[in-house]
Amino acid sequence: MQGKSQFVAVASIAAELSDVMDVAKEISLAAANAKAIAFRAGEKAKGFQPITDFINELAKETIGLVDAINEQAIQLYQLAVNEYKMTAASNTFDQVNRLAMNAAYASSLDSPLERVGQNKLECRKQFQNHVEHLLEQLGDVMHPARAARVIAANSRIEASQAGEYLQSLQAVAESVDNAASVIHGNVQRCRSALSIISFSD
Amino acid sequence: MKMTKIYEGSHQWLMFGRDENKPNDIIDTNQYLVRTASRCLLIDPGGVELFAPMLAAVLHYAPVEEITDLFASHQDPDIISSLGLWDQALPNAKLHASGLWEGFIRHFGCESIEYVPIQDNGGVITLDNTELQVIPAHYLHSSANFNIYDPKAKILMSGDIGAALEEPGAPIFVDKFEDHVDKMRFFHQRWMPSNKAKRAWIDRVRDLDIDILAPQHGRMFKGDDVNRFLDWFDALQVGIAE
Repeated sequence: MQGKSQFVAVASIAAELSDVMDVAKEISLAAANAKAIAFRAGEKAKGFQPITDFINELAKETIGLVDAINEQAIQLYQLAVNEYKMTAASNTFDQVNRLAMNAAYASSLDSPLERVGQNKLECRKQFQNHVEHLLEQLGDVMHPARAARVIAANSRIEASQAGEYLQSLQAVAESVDNAASVIHGNVQRCRSALSIISFSD
Repeated sequence: MKMTKIYEGSHQWLMFGRDENKPNDIIDTNQYLVRTASRCLLIDPGGVELFAPMLAAVLHYAPVEEITDLFASHQDPDIISSLGLWDQALPNAKLHASGLWEGFIRHFGCESIEYVPIQDNGGVITLDNTELQVIPAHYLHSSANFNIYDPKAKILMSGDIGAALEEPGAPIFVDKFEDHVDKMRFFHQRWMPSNKAKRAWIDRVRDLDIDILAPQHGRMFKGDDVNRFLDWFDALQVGIAE
């Protein structure tokens, strides 16, 4: 496992997730605006009203998922640190083993060597399991993002029937579409970064 | 890593240092090992770069499982940044170090080793039948700083007190005190911040019966050179940056 690329990848994932969170909050705000507009528009935006609730639900779901993923990302960072420390320790113990080859008590190093080797493997296993789990969670975030894009398309259709509220509601649809697209892009980048470190050895 | 036996009696004192493979840009350090019947205390085990040669050198004289105790005179990296690796090697050992530095020293990694905090007034470390006194040496140079005194071996491990900046491969003991002074002056004036603290330490150690004064850098002092050092240090103004 390459220590530096691991840390950079985990840090970049945290940054991407922070952006996703901001965008999800924007969607939530857009949903609140849309609801107010739809309320004012009354009958003209009747089809739009349930859509606003749905947008809000999607935003909430995204925020909840990202919250959970953020916690996992923090744990992943700790595991990356442990894995890096254990790999470094294991390499150093191999060095001690070479240097102490002729020492009277060289064999007393066997037990620490074995322990450190096992710890290293255990840390690596934990790290890789965690990466896989995180990849699955990121896949889950893609679902509301995809749904939001479909909703944005429906919103445009409904907006076209809203008379003088057409522009406002179209702006809402546009904003949801953009936000979903940004989330999709960020999450894809997270997954790519994770895929790289999960396969590097 | 070279080893010099400096005491052989009911227990042993071994000094490790002058590592020929040490990177040039890190300061040379002296590590000390006190070996009793079934236990070893490693005094100021050294920096992380030194861990492999140090442990390999120790394995010529003691098995890993008998290294039961570590001591850090203070918190500096050349003293104890190897802790995270000792933590892997000696999961059942104890680290004796200032309670004041605990939260700082733990940054080096101390998950398995038990941190035994030393109170400001010092204490005692017992290894089998050997009692080692922990002597306060605060502000010399660190704000919480200790020496180890062995009344039986008459050795005072003095940490940075008595240290000298030397060329690689310097002798183990001071041979001509007058010539050695130039190698110590800057170090003591610059790193030791307090004349008051220096005075208190000198008063404390003048009462001890010392055959060897063993610093963490440079050469050790033995016999009359111990008092020569104390007189010289007594007269030196410290806390000076020019």
